Amino acid sequence: MPDYPISGYHGRVLVADLGRGEVRTEALAPELALDYLGGRGLATRILYDTIDPACDPLGPDNAFVIASSPLVGTSAPTAGRGHMVFKSPLTGVLGTSNSGGTWGAAFKSAGFDVLVVKGSAATPVMIDVAPGRAEILPADDLWGRTTHETNDLLAAASEPGRPARVLCIGPAGENLVRFAAVANDRNRVYGRSGAGAVWGSKKLKAVRVRGREKIAVADKERFQSGLDQALYLMKQAPVTKRLLRDLGTAGLVELINLIAMLPHKNFQDCVHREEDVERISGETLAKTLLEKAGSCYLCPIGCQRHTRVAGRDGREERGEGPEYETMVLMGPLCGIYDIEAITRANYRANELGLDTMSYGGTLACAMELRERGLIGDADASGLDLTFGDARALEALVALTARREGLGALLAEGAFRLAERFGHPELAMTVKKLEIPAYDPRASFTQALGYMTSPSGACHLRGGYAVSLAFFGGAKEIPRFSLLQSPIAIRNMQNIGILQDSLGVCRFTGYAFSSDPWARMASGVTGRDFSVARLEEIENRVASLERLFNLEAGATAADDALPARFADVPIVVEGKERRVSREDQDRMKRDYYRVRGWDAGGRPTPELLRSLRIGKVRR
Amino acid sequence: MSVPKWRATGALLREFQALGRASLLNDVQDSHSGNMAVRRTNERGEDEIVITATGSQKGDLEPSQICFLSAAATDFGYYKASSETDIHARILKLPGVRASMHAHLKDLILATLDDAPKPAKPPDFVPVDPLAWHHLGGVIPVDWFAVPSGSPELARVIPERLAEHPLTIIFGHGAMAKGRSLREAFFRLCVGNYAGAVVRALERLRIDVGAVRRAVTADPGRAFAAPPAPYAAEGDDRSDFRDEEEILKEFVKAGHRIFESRLSPFHTGSMSVRGVDVMLYAPKASMPRDVGGPLLSVPLAAAADDDAEAAVHKAIYAGSDFQSVMHCHVAEAEASARYAYPGESVPADRIVPIDAEGSFLYLVIPVLAPDVPAAGLIRALHEYKVAVVRGGGVWAVGAQSLSEVLHHPSSLREICIYRIGAVERGLDLRRMEPRKASRW
Repeated sequence: MPDYPISGYHGRVLVADLGRGEVRTEALAPELALDYLGGRGLATRILYDTIDPACDPLGPDNAFVIASSPLVGTSAPTAGRGHMVFKSPLTGVLGTSNSGGTWGAAFKSAGFDVLVVKGSAATPVMIDVAPGRAEILPADDLWGRTTHETNDLLAAASEPGRPARVLCIGPAGENLVRFAAVANDRNRVYGRSGAGAVWGSKKLKAVRVRGREKIAVADKERFQSGLDQALYLMKQAPVTKRLLRDLGTAGLVELINLIAMLPHKNFQDCVHREEDVERISGETLAKTLLEKAGSCYLCPIGCQRHTRVAGRDGREERGEGPEYETMVLMGPLCGIYDIEAITRANYRANELGLDTMSYGGTLACAMELRERGLIGDADASGLDLTFGDARALEALVALTARREGLGALLAEGAFRLAERFGHPELAMTVKKLEIPAYDPRASFTQALGYMTSPSGACHLRGGYAVSLAFFGGAKEIPRFSLLQSPIAIRNMQNIGILQDSLGVCRFTGYAFSSDPWARMASGVTGRDFSVARLEEIENRVASLERLFNLEAGATAADDALPARFADVPIVVEGKERRVSREDQDRMKRDYYRVRGWDAGGRPTPELLRSLRIGKVRR
Repeated sequence: MSVPKWRATGALLREFQALGRASLLNDVQDSHSGNMAVRRTNERGEDEIVITATGSQKGDLEPSQICFLSAAATDFGYYKASSETDIHARILKLPGVRASMHAHLKDLILATLDDAPKPAKPPDFVPVDPLAWHHLGGVIPVDWFAVPSGSPELARVIPERLAEHPLTIIFGHGAMAKGRSLREAFFRLCVGNYAGAVVRALERLRIDVGAVRRAVTADPGRAFAAPPAPYAAEGDDRSDFRDEEEILKEFVKAGHRIFESRLSPFHTGSMSVRGVDVMLYAPKASMPRDVGGPLLSVPLAAAADDDAEAAVHKAIYAGSDFQSVMHCHVAEAEASARYAYPGESVPADRIVPIDAEGSFLYLVIPVLAPDVPAAGLIRALHEYKVAVVRGGGVWAVGAQSLSEVLHHPSSLREICIYRIGAVERGLDLRRMEPRKASRW
């Protein structure tokens, strides 16, 4: 809107009600933009105001919200990301997921800041967005297609200078797999928490966007000063300068193993043979499968891995990845070190629209159930299913996406799978979300991050403490300090909230913190988005997310690690390490206090008032 | 009859060795210069002076180079002891004095050199920094001696000066300090040298030191931030958080770095890491290896008996999400905070890096008034992570760790060194500063 009072925003919220088959544009309230900034913060506020957090996540009352940020559409590095929030069908709490690629920037250039989709269609539909218009179209001919097929069909509508960008689900989302993903640019995904199942429940196959609206920068000099600083620091930091471009995120494999944090066999230990780790390292990936590196929108880092691998039928396949999380969770977590099998399984998961992390965590859980004799031959779909079974890894991707055989059980996620066989303690999850590829026993800070993440065990929402444990440089912190962890993880979570709310990549955090972002955000908007103000926004968003979860039924008891991490030690630098229940309780108690929450993990009325969170349901 | 002891052992030896090495690393000695002495009651109940041997290398003191001699009479030990033993012995007779130390404080000596014909009494030194002003008094005596080492004249005059002052300067040679402990004497020497470094940096920046001195002398309350707490001669061994092994290591590392990189004189500055209820706090942040200082765990909540230094740490935590805070006295920054550009009548409110790295790390570093309220300091720290309080040192913050916060004063010192050097070479700072910095 030309007269929108804050530069950097269009001031438009696109609302699609699939139940009514209506699309309309609403004005973005300026105070929401100022208080929640964009991306994750803004999307969460709008979701909170749109749905009842106690709703059925796969019912028509759930909604999803994708928000852009004032930086998206400028030259700010990596600022092309979108953030999607919804009630998660996997966890029952807030689903909050972020994706790179180009869709986020394209959506902004179509003239909107926020997309809200609610209700459910009776038959498959897609939403088509272009400047000045949006419509709901039938998508019966797309239903059943893979993410790649859907993307390629819809992207064919590109025009010169105005490419069509597609966000879509695959068969996994259609079949309501609880950890189904939403993909854009074929292989970039909103992976965690099962957004794809929410789309599937709404019969929404895709959202296509086209546009070329520009964003005005209110104070160019101020913006440029932050930009210069950011780019300089990204060229300085080894991780953003070289490691990620040369080795991709899989470059972490050997490094994480060095700090005894690389999980093994459903987190039974962190012990690997060096030669096995080398087989799945970023270096090996670069030497064997890598064709070229690639980048998301306006990203100078370039961590994407464009790879090729021999298929089971001998034909060469091309795709992207695997990323670090996929490599480890589909790999050593399942006792597998076969990089080609992992790569093929990753390709299939991307095509079918599965979160590779939850898939790996769920499969590892199934393998342990099998190892213990709890999954018998009758349930194993003819697979060996022992740790190290690469054939099962590949075969079960499709079975899971289609909910066939054992895949129907895996499609429910690790917690429900383990519960189904009477041993929920074998699910390595927090709030039913599968734990990422960093063993929490190797860092109390990371452990607390998993415990208190608003979406369950997510390293990105919970605080990426690994960057401190290994790559912290000047920010390196003690790994086993009960005293320091609560504040350290609060601050890590907060910088994550900021990055997600600005639509920028987490990896920029390897190079710099909030200062350059503050200058860029203040520059583009012409408003005060100083570091202090950003800090206030971060804390506001964290407490709002907490409110959502409490209203969804979560309690402080859900902020806990699986018993294994308290009972079974791993060895780190010669010492046995575990996260005892007492230590968990102490960190959790201190974390709540740092957040200004009461002993039950509830934001206090005083805090809510001071953060101006406003309307709160009780 | 006492029996001379020729090999020092245990804590006494370690203390001499550690401070000897620290003084060498801090560049206040040459390889063989300086001496230090303590007065004590020995194991046999005798009044005794323990002093370094003449010509010994202070950076590598051997057990046999610590001499034990009677405080009451000249004995065998005297002949191996420092050539300044007579001076030390008299200083150590002063009420309350248990230690004395002599060092070649090059910055301070350079700042007091003059070319007036001698013999003459040189002008006393007036410090313009808050540390020396408060810890050493508004005036540090300077005396010229015909024989400026080991002479009877020195042995007469120096104790007289130290009866009135904590530190005294021997023109063109060095300084002597007294203390309740060897650490306090060393502390005073380091603060004295820091005062000289500040003045020297002001001179290199072509700042009228006389005018600064006049302003400081006329109203020290306006010239300096809150006075530092008096030096505590005891309690250095206190460690309240031994169980926090990793954090403890961070404190120790940072303490070494602050001292060795001259980010703050010995046992000055402060640093902290916050917990939920407590603040882990080192009130003597500049800690050489093997010397250390108190490592306290104190309530995070403000308390009525907090000293000014601890109160600022707590105020920063109360007003922000930061996890670590550091306060240092960087001589180059203290001087740079008083720099006014040619044609300007008042000092600039910012330090603009002119070096490549500094200009990207920090577009500018704010310079705040000595009486800046806590809220103003916190606001600046939010935006810049580091700020210089004119007459009050450098404050810096980190979101995660001590290691993070340490980088700020360390970078700032380099930034100031480049700026000072540029002015010294006659370069135009305005032309060297990035244009974008004018907005910040």
